[in-house]
Amino acid sequence: MSQTEMTITVGHDVIMEASPYGIDKKKLGMWIFIVSDACTFGAFLFAYGYMRIGAPVWGTPFGFSSILNGLLMTAVLLSSSLTMLAAVRASQENQKESANKWLGITMLLGSIFAVLHLREWFHLFGEGWRLFSNPTGGAVQFGATFFSVTGLHLTHVVTGVIALAFVARGYIQGRYDQSHIETAGLYWHFVDLVWMFVFPFMYLMNAR
Amino acid sequence: MAQTSAHAVAHHAPPQGFIRKYVFSVDHKVIGIQYLTLSLVSAFVGMALSWAMRLHLAYPDFHIPLLGWLAPNGAPNGVMTPEYYLSLMTMHGTIMAFFVLTAAPFAGFGNFMLPIQVGAADMAFPRLNMSSFWVTFVGFLLAASTFFIPDGPPLSGWTAYAPLSAVGPVAGPGQGWGQTLWVLSIACFCIASLLGALNFIVTTLDLRTKGLTMSRLPLSTWGWFIDAWVSLLAFAVLLPCGLLLALDRLGGTSFFIPAGLVFNDQLQPHSGGSPLLFQHLFWFFGHPEVYIIILPAFGIVSHILPTFIRKPLVGGWRVITFSEIAVGMLSFVVWGHHMFVSGMSPYMAMVFSVPTLLITIPSVIAVLIWVFSLYGANIRFDTPLLYSLGFISLFISGGIGGFFLAQPSTDSYLHATSFVVGHFHFTMGLSAIFATFAGFYYWYPKMFGRMMNETLGKLHFWLSFVLVYCVFMTLQLTGFAGAVRRYSAFVDDFMIPLIPAQKFMTVCALLLGATQFIFLFNAIWSRFKGTRASDNPWGATTLEWDTTSPPPFDNFGGRQLIVHHGPMEYDGEDSVMQTSPAASVAGT
Amino acid sequence: MSSNHELGMSSYVGIGVGLMLIVTVEVILTYQHFAPRTLLFALLCLACLEAYIAIMYLMHVKYERPILYWTIFPATLFVLVFLCYLLPDAFRMFNMRLLK
Repeated sequence: MSQTEMTITVGHDVIMEASPYGIDKKKLGMWIFIVSDACTFGAFLFAYGYMRIGAPVWGTPFGFSSILNGLLMTAVLLSSSLTMLAAVRASQENQKESANKWLGITMLLGSIFAVLHLREWFHLFGEGWRLFSNPTGGAVQFGATFFSVTGLHLTHVVTGVIALAFVARGYIQGRYDQSHIETAGLYWHFVDLVWMFVFPFMYLMNAR
Repeated sequence: MAQTSAHAVAHHAPPQGFIRKYVFSVDHKVIGIQYLTLSLVSAFVGMALSWAMRLHLAYPDFHIPLLGWLAPNGAPNGVMTPEYYLSLMTMHGTIMAFFVLTAAPFAGFGNFMLPIQVGAADMAFPRLNMSSFWVTFVGFLLAASTFFIPDGPPLSGWTAYAPLSAVGPVAGPGQGWGQTLWVLSIACFCIASLLGALNFIVTTLDLRTKGLTMSRLPLSTWGWFIDAWVSLLAFAVLLPCGLLLALDRLGGTSFFIPAGLVFNDQLQPHSGGSPLLFQHLFWFFGHPEVYIIILPAFGIVSHILPTFIRKPLVGGWRVITFSEIAVGMLSFVVWGHHMFVSGMSPYMAMVFSVPTLLITIPSVIAVLIWVFSLYGANIRFDTPLLYSLGFISLFISGGIGGFFLAQPSTDSYLHATSFVVGHFHFTMGLSAIFATFAGFYYWYPKMFGRMMNETLGKLHFWLSFVLVYCVFMTLQLTGFAGAVRRYSAFVDDFMIPLIPAQKFMTVCALLLGATQFIFLFNAIWSRFKGTRASDNPWGATTLEWDTTSPPPFDNFGGRQLIVHHGPMEYDGEDSVMQTSPAASVAGT
Repeated sequence: MSSNHELGMSSYVGIGVGLMLIVTVEVILTYQHFAPRTLLFALLCLACLEAYIAIMYLMHVKYERPILYWTIFPATLFVLVFLCYLLPDAFRMFNMRLLK
């Protein structure tokens, strides 16, 4: 058992009812968090849908190069999910070096995603897009919804990269074990999952 | 058969030092008491705000020197401006709904009791639990700070409807920094509640001791567990609502602000937003919120009643629990009944009205179970029971008002009258508070090792019970007569005849406020001078009564608990604790 | 404890490739000049398919106990489906606007 939460001073066995889920309580906790975060993103996307349906003219700034960039970002994030899986499997087989290597690659891919995303944001800023302005003359809510939804997702990515750094460090130092990496992996896959909705709704629906 | 697993559960060493023991403690019992203390302070702040409001309504020229000192702009010479009345009303609602009603029954008692009731040494994530409290505390400080900034607190109500709340300082005093601090405060509360709900869910599912199957869970634990799910899903949607509002205020966006708005002769540079979207997102949270407030109360009363009627509830644990689950689920599909007159689609009004009427069914089932359980019982009229009966009475009174509000036709007249205010005070404010008092008197011996004074408790109950009816039934009647809510003065012709009623309510409200000091005195005095409590002073059965009063730092002193019984095995004077050997039967 | 060894790593790479294929289909559909409503429906279906695959395989729910599936899906879908109740007012906002 890990010692993250409490210091073991008296470590005797206490018999409890088995969890109906059969998974480590950290993983269960992460799943519950994922349910709530999914509802948060869902509400954001519904607000986007509401604004889009209600707007007479919306504005479609994304040329093919933007869509290609989005496709690249999707590939990067999907790959990072696979490398995260590799890290989890390595940790389950107690291959510490391998697990850390895969964690590092996942973090790198996540960072690449963030850089690509910010690059695209700055490109849009250059064209005059803001939270509150639409250079094509369409609804000003375009920028508001686009930047807030993708911004929230980006925040999750960056937080995930930082969290993975902490998990990797703890794992090397022996304070964390495979259950921590599995739990972090769940979060990372969720971030990828959200992107699977963000990309079609925010990019493809707004392609030129 | 129940599956068990042996866990090398890490026990924390007893904390050393004042800060680790009482301030930044990971012990769920300390955190529970911290929440209860925060709620108590918030309750008196919220009550004081209501006294100021009621004084102004009945005696518009009344000088309140403290108010004049606090808000020289808002209340020159101690007489509040109409805007400041709205500010006080906003903070009264915010502080009471969030920091008292959501915090005390759920986070306060839940944190203290849930781990003990499932036989665990602590919550699943103790440090997360500690963070939840301190984030809530920061939220409270942010809310309280609005009183001390030059422009004062926001005036948009606890509902903070856009566009008033979204356009910024041009909308009135308190709509600058006041509203921004308010949004930050609610965001803190939101995050803390989400994390707290997560903790409750995982603890209930994963940390039950051997033999404690879900069918043997105490009814208060069921209440907290169901409530945690509702909380998780509802607060998850409040967060984007608040974020979008913050973006409108600080980021120049127009999520909720339509084109062509003119505030104070200034055309707002916004377009394309929808105030209705704010209402939808807010009430998607807002309606489950009122059930977040009442479900722990259902659980607490269902837990307390069997102890004092010395028999199980009619229908066992299943009927009441499934009713609570039905209430929790239905609470998500009724939110539009707050929006019947908002300009929302009238077809959606029908779609919301039907489940609103349907949700009364499981609520009534729960009420009938409590009432029918009393039949033929040998009732011990101790204070916790009196408060439980008071809860039932107040919930029925409030619930009946709900029928009028559930239908768009009658709601068109009653919306924004004080009938609504009376209704939600009955169902939310008074019922939940009486259930909280019941829990307080019931669990005080366990938490502090001393009994509260019964005479003072009964006095507190009877005075409170009579006075709340005097105040809030009158409020509902004035609402029928057409008294408009959120008005700081009654100058319209049709409201002038109601002024004697307003004065009556003010006097009763002030007396009611004074009565609460009996409770406060009792709570503090008993801590030092109350009779020492035994492990199980009420003769109850659940796991919290199977340890010392107060419990040791790891709740059970490292004992292995094995549960063989359900939580309601009572038969008159006889009762069987959950940990009694399997062969024990009550009444033999 | 659950084990990841029901599928080999190469299977997961295959799943990743499959997901990328679905995304590529989405991009192709975008440029087929469908009506916005049709495109939205198609993208929604494909995104839900992707999500289902990701949850069942990448997040391992297929190999967990059924109760995990029956906890997360109903709770999340419940909220997401009933949030749809706010959409009629979006259509009203469009249809009943002042300036056409």
